Amino acid sequence: MILEAFIAFTFVAALVVMVAPDEWAGKLAFGLSLAPFLGSLYLWSQFDAVGNALTGGTIAFESRIEWLEVGGRSISWFVGLDGISLPLVVLTTFLVPLAIVSAWTPIDTRQSQFYGLLLFMEANLLGVFAALDFFLWFIFWEAVLVPMYFLIGVWGGPRRKYAAIKFFVYTNAASLLMFIGFMSLTFALGDSVSSFGLPEITQAIAAGGLGTWFGFEAGTIAMAAFLAMFLGFAVKVPIVPVHTWLPDAHVEAPTPVSVLLAGVLLKMGTYALLRFNFTMLPDQASALAIPIAAIAVISVIYGAMLALAQKDLKRIVAYSSVSSMGYVILGLVVFTEYGVGGATFQMVAHGLISGLMFMAVGVMYNATHTRMVGDMSGMADRMPVTVGILVAGAFGYMGLPLMAGFAGEFFIFVGAFGAPSLPYAPIFTALAMFGIVVVAGYLLAAMQKTLFGPFRLETDYEVGRAPLHDVAPLAVLLAAIIVLGVAPDIFFEMIRDAAGPVVEGVSVDV
Amino acid sequence: MVDAFAYVPAIVLLPFFSFVVALAAGRYLPKGGAFGGIAATAGSSLLSLWVLATVAGGEAYNETIYTWASAGGIGPTDIELTFGLLIDPLSALMLVIVTLVALLVHVFSLGYMNDEGETGLPRYYAGLGLFTASMLGFVVADNLLMAFMFFELVGLCSYLLIGFHFREEGPPSAAKKAFLVTRFGDYFFLVGVVAVLATFGTAQFAGDGSFPALADQALSGAGDVAWVPGGLELGTWFTIIGLLVLGGVVGKSAQFPLHTWLPDAMEGPTPVSALIHAATMVAAGVYLVARMFGFYALTPTTLAVIAFVGGFTALFAATMGVVKDELKQVLAYSTISQYGYMMLALGAGSYVAATFHLMTHAFFKALLFLGAGAVIIAMHHNENMWDMGGLKERMPVTYWTFLAGSLALAGIFPFAGFWSKDEILYEAFVHGLNDPLLLGGWVMGLLAVPVTAFYTFRMVFLTFHGEPRSELARDPEPVRWNVKGPLTVLGSLAVVAGLVNMVPVQKLLGIDGIDFLTQWLNNDFGGIDGVSYSAYNDLLATYGGYAPAELLGLSEELTLLVAAGLSLGLAVVGVLVAWRLYNVASPTEHTAKLGGIKDVLYNNYYLDELQVWTAYRTEDAAGGADTFDQGIIDGVVNGTSSVALAAGSRVRRIQTGLVTHYAAMLTLGLLALLVALGVSGGWFL
Repeated sequence: MILEAFIAFTFVAALVVMVAPDEWAGKLAFGLSLAPFLGSLYLWSQFDAVGNALTGGTIAFESRIEWLEVGGRSISWFVGLDGISLPLVVLTTFLVPLAIVSAWTPIDTRQSQFYGLLLFMEANLLGVFAALDFFLWFIFWEAVLVPMYFLIGVWGGPRRKYAAIKFFVYTNAASLLMFIGFMSLTFALGDSVSSFGLPEITQAIAAGGLGTWFGFEAGTIAMAAFLAMFLGFAVKVPIVPVHTWLPDAHVEAPTPVSVLLAGVLLKMGTYALLRFNFTMLPDQASALAIPIAAIAVISVIYGAMLALAQKDLKRIVAYSSVSSMGYVILGLVVFTEYGVGGATFQMVAHGLISGLMFMAVGVMYNATHTRMVGDMSGMADRMPVTVGILVAGAFGYMGLPLMAGFAGEFFIFVGAFGAPSLPYAPIFTALAMFGIVVVAGYLLAAMQKTLFGPFRLETDYEVGRAPLHDVAPLAVLLAAIIVLGVAPDIFFEMIRDAAGPVVEGVSVDV
Repeated sequence: MVDAFAYVPAIVLLPFFSFVVALAAGRYLPKGGAFGGIAATAGSSLLSLWVLATVAGGEAYNETIYTWASAGGIGPTDIELTFGLLIDPLSALMLVIVTLVALLVHVFSLGYMNDEGETGLPRYYAGLGLFTASMLGFVVADNLLMAFMFFELVGLCSYLLIGFHFREEGPPSAAKKAFLVTRFGDYFFLVGVVAVLATFGTAQFAGDGSFPALADQALSGAGDVAWVPGGLELGTWFTIIGLLVLGGVVGKSAQFPLHTWLPDAMEGPTPVSALIHAATMVAAGVYLVARMFGFYALTPTTLAVIAFVGGFTALFAATMGVVKDELKQVLAYSTISQYGYMMLALGAGSYVAATFHLMTHAFFKALLFLGAGAVIIAMHHNENMWDMGGLKERMPVTYWTFLAGSLALAGIFPFAGFWSKDEILYEAFVHGLNDPLLLGGWVMGLLAVPVTAFYTFRMVFLTFHGEPRSELARDPEPVRWNVKGPLTVLGSLAVVAGLVNMVPVQKLLGIDGIDFLTQWLNNDFGGIDGVSYSAYNDLLATYGGYAPAELLGLSEELTLLVAAGLSLGLAVVGVLVAWRLYNVASPTEHTAKLGGIKDVLYNNYYLDELQVWTAYRTEDAAGGADTFDQGIIDGVVNGTSSVALAAGSRVRRIQTGLVTHYAAMLTLGLLALLVALGVSGGWFL
């Protein structure tokens, strides 16, 4: 029951903050959000899962309550964690308190609603990563969109309504596609499953339970379902060419929301891809290995090129997320322990690093009220600590060794380079790796123009150092990034344990 | 007995602590944290000497100390990514060189940075500390991945220190260029690391299960590798891997065509130039080739490429050094050129000559840079040699030490550089007779000798001889012990360091035991099997057909004399020409005589322009991609929604645009769904 208590507490906290006075809603939200973080640390300490939750491994904190029955299949409250979901739960609960603190300076209207929605979103995110029943998962998945819509649409920048609606409609339409894909899969499974439990469905498919349905062959249905789900999740990730909602959403979203959007929400997409597409339908995934790898490489290089063309610091970081997510897709499609494990590790690493970058850009924005590269220069002179951490974070983004990003990327590269299931794997990998040069190019160029050189900024007030509560979350994130980079096994060990069975799902003639 | 190897991690960690202390508390410490750095590097130096002594006592160390990550590879066993220590004659020697130069540079910085009233000193000493730690971590690395990691960290420190004066325009730009150009090389290196891991399942440098050993076994048919891509021949694939790793080497060791960052890197403070951009970081590339020479020895094609690139770079960079006006620029091009020699040596299969030159160059180039630093202090940070002149009488310590370094650089007997450069040219020559690429490298290396001597002494004469050409030069600022001390130490080394490997003398006069460095690297004192000069020579003979050729039937002694005489003679010619042109009371530029070549040389063969052009074209492409993305891809998205909206105009009445209405609709919808599901599932019964 501990997971229920964990998620329920976050919901209650959201409600409490929602009705609190605006003056101290931020402090209250921060205090309350520490409880889920400590809770996730407790979960981590008690974690005892073995293998992958979907393929028959032992599930930690498993809890299953029969809820209702639809069409001969039961829907349950079914939650639990394994080595893939626990790191993402820890990431979420770690990022939320930091995002809340980073909101103290910029958010100055309707604070209680803002923080309430933030916590409401956290609760749903935890649900997404913990749920093991399709319907339960789907409810959390969709419910995440609601607070996000309001957080962008109410507290966002000048074009917030456009961005919020684009985000909502785009991802929601994708969800519909994914929903149809998954449903056709369950119908084709016929009587071989009796619930919407994800482990049961996964194992039934692996055992050859897919039958003909409406005259379609099992293979056709599986492939169609794979494509529908892939496209649905691809929007969330996002993968080129369905990525255009992301920069708009990021540019308009307030800093703390960007932090969570890049840090956690994008990982919903990659997490779902891993769970549904690559774990449930590994044969289809490896049949489509070449096009998927091609899309991954295009995402990496094209995303990086787009980042190079931007003048808004937030857009630069936003597009570089597209690039980084391309690595994750590459890691998933190669079906090796290093590949899939590295992709999962990269989800966490990118969550921390992009969170740090958005936060640091936000702290500078608080002081300068601009994010445009040409508007300022020499910020290092006025905000040395913030800039120092921003530079460190940027190097983390470039994949500097002994920081988390390098570990994730390197695992993916090692896993992908000689991957037997992907034809031309060395060429795909080498092409994707060129991203590390482009990312260095645009981040270094942007840093040189804004942070260094003589100080220049048109303001009618004195730009000074950022307050402590702006800088402290940056420092905490940087510390986490370095710790994970030096000792990736903190997470990688459990991730590898859960990724192993996924890899075995693909039979390859070596 | 206390084991010296147990303290190897401390060698790396001491400077790291100095970094942490300087960063966290530097502003509260005297001298901005300088003393912490001095203490740390002094401690590391002493420990390194102890390690060197232990290795001399016949011990070596090759152990994994930390598993970074581990997971399934392509073969049946897991690929373990580890950190470990490899202490053998090569790395023990390098440890001493790096810690010694780092210590002297820290001391010198007291004079160059503190006495000059620089701000941001904690940041400076933190950077030096982190750099020293990273470089030492690279040196002791026992596998390619760990080497890559510290290689990159070294690049970061270089970025931070080149851009130290971040409030100006130049340094941040130079720092960016340095990181980016070396990153481009490191990209190939990283692909190489990944390829090594995928192919061999390990990246260990030494020992039975190391990748050079596995490669040797696979090539000789005694073993197999885990993976080879798409039916490539083993030899071809190993050559590709070797060339990939070489990419990183070319970047860091500033070889053609990735050398362009190094002259710009002179924007950094001069002690940094001495430490990073002359003596140690740039050496990392060459050291890496030496470290994994057992692998390169298997692929003669790679070696020939290394030799040719090295020889070309040696000549190419030297010609640009001839026309530069600024003291540090001359030294920068000279550094590129000298690393070219080391590459030539490695390509010629002479592991010892390359290491030898690496060592002597570290001493004399650090000396020259620190000497230049002393001149720059004296000249109140004016670096233009045409404003100097006549400093000889006014700063004798600097002059005499600088002269020792210059003689070493020019390769004049018996200074350090003579011995090492002569050995390189000799080895390239005798091996090159069998291989046209190698012979080409040798010819260019030989042609670079007089050019080197010429630009070196042009620099000496313009700076120290003749009449002062400016007020600054007439009344230079005096320098203190903290500048003179390091200069004296390095000056002595520039004179005597060559004596550790007097191979020609041994061969000519038959005196045994004065080729100390050769014995050292040949594991005569002890080391790790398979990682020694003779082991490499065996591999070279087996795979590359490298064997010294007889020149026109001359005996070995005569060949030796001819080669040494030729390079010494050419060097003397270079010095004499410089003497004739520039050792006069008021020298003139003379560059006009070069005609059009002068512009080409001034503009560094327009290679910088080419790289800038490439960068701009990349930006253009990015702009095109952005337009495409906004116009076409996002256009389709927005177009779709417009169509949908137009079709839905009938239901526009509920599209109020009020967020609260949408919220109400969402809530109601969710409620309705729950109720419907509840009723159908019999939930309320």
